[in-house]
Amino acid sequence: MITAALISKRNPEGSTSENKWRTGARERAYRRRLVEALCRARGGSASGPRAVKEAADSALALTARGRSRWSRAILFGRRGGNLLLKARGRVLVRRGRPRMVAAPRPEGKGVRDSLRTLRWLVPGCRKVSTSSLLKESADYVAALEMQVKAMRGLFGV
Amino acid sequence: MGPARCSGVGSGNSGAYTTEIAESLRFEEEIHSIVHPSLDSSPAAGGSFTALLGLPANQAVELLHETGPSEAPGSAAAPSPTGELWRLRLGEHAAGPLHLPLGCSPTFPSNAALVERAARFSVFAAEDSPALSSGGGPSPRLKAEPLDSDSPPLLPIPTEKTQRPAKRKECEKSKAKGPAKKSKSAEENTAAAAKETAAENTDGEKLPYVHVRARRGQATDSHSLAERARREKINARMKLLQELVPGCSKITGTALVLDEIINHVQSLQRQVEFLSMRLAAVNPRIDFGGLDSFLSAECGPLATANGRGGVALDPALWSSHPVTANGARWLPQPQIRHVDVWPTQQSSTAWTRDGPAHPHALLNPGASLVGYDPASSVLLNSNQLKTEL
Repeated sequence: MITAALISKRNPEGSTSENKWRTGARERAYRRRLVEALCRARGGSASGPRAVKEAADSALALTARGRSRWSRAILFGRRGGNLLLKARGRVLVRRGRPRMVAAPRPEGKGVRDSLRTLRWLVPGCRKVSTSSLLKESADYVAALEMQVKAMRGLFGV
Repeated sequence: MGPARCSGVGSGNSGAYTTEIAESLRFEEEIHSIVHPSLDSSPAAGGSFTALLGLPANQAVELLHETGPSEAPGSAAAPSPTGELWRLRLGEHAAGPLHLPLGCSPTFPSNAALVERAARFSVFAAEDSPALSSGGGPSPRLKAEPLDSDSPPLLPIPTEKTQRPAKRKECEKSKAKGPAKKSKSAEENTAAAAKETAAENTDGEKLPYVHVRARRGQATDSHSLAERARREKINARMKLLQELVPGCSKITGTALVLDEIINHVQSLQRQVEFLSMRLAAVNPRIDFGGLDSFLSAECGPLATANGRGGVALDPALWSSHPVTANGARWLPQPQIRHVDVWPTQQSSTAWTRDGPAHPHALLNPGASLVGYDPASSVLLNSNQLKTEL
């Protein structure tokens, strides 16, 4: 929580995505989901690290409540129905107006390449505009940090 | 268009010019008299309009037509010459807006208002004194003869005109077609003026959606405004990202910042992968009974629950990895300190080695949550990752 306090001091604005991720509530929710997912995974597939990772990521996406594009991509990508069922209606699918205006000119070749790499890294952001990509990646980074923190906490580190 | 037109007309109408000018001031009747040099009573400002505007006669006529054929009858009813119905009409058109600013003195040169109006028309831009002096030649092309007389040489006017604020051109433009009928380059002028006025209009005066005062030296059309807004949005989001990723605030330059962000995302993903791998290895032995404290745990330091049996790892493992070098940073908990071991081989062997020796649940619901700042731990880890990988 110290972290959350510190970070929220840095970002005084109301409800940025990263603030939401830093609050303890999200982390608790994530831990709960993670444990559930782990139990399920343990019972199901073998102890493949991939399964664990997928479970963790799915739990993370669930915790995001489907409000971000990457979380929706993860949920829909992992054998569609399962995860949606798990969400049990908690996933909000907001059909936004698809932005037809993609990024015309992100100033510079290096920048463009970096943006392309970023598109690969962030799930579900292949075709979005530059500004959406940046927003999604901010959310994704915050979520990833929370995930790492939670998993470490799981280990006792 | 100009010179040829002017030549023919200018010859015989000089006398009527002043008259025309004067009459233009008073619009309707004056216009009439202007139209008809014969009718002209006060030749003072006669050829003012055409001379001022330099419009060729035909163009003036055309303009006259443009402005409003329908009004001809009304204005035609006015004083005299019927032939110039359209001109009168036009004159009325122009008369309206011109009415206000114009002064009263019929004498053209001294009439500031007239000068002003002339300037507004900015017809003289293309025209020069020679053109004007040539008698506003448009008369030969004018359908109505009287129009010929409307091109008095008004030398002083052109200079004034250019000084006028261009904005008025727009108001004047449409309505000035009548008075501008005589000017040679009225059409060109309106075309030029249209551009200028359009540019000026969009300059914060008549934007349909938002009234934005354009910044100095920046384009003002809607496209660039939208572009600018979009770019600012992207920059704002970029700054957010920069704050999020540690160490990016100092970096200047979009490309470098983006590279840093990419590195961070990759490192985070790798951490998740490693952690999940470790979890997978430990999974069979996980005792979820003691998870309550874990689930309710905050990220801060927690009371150790060693008794509950959460044993992290073999101290041997713990000592074998390079983190001991950084031991000062990590909590010096003598006992089970599970530190991330990034060399995969090491960790896997450690797992297998220590597996049977430690039947305890790996999950330590809060016991080994170290008392250091979790945020810094994450940061440290990521830094470590970067150094080690």
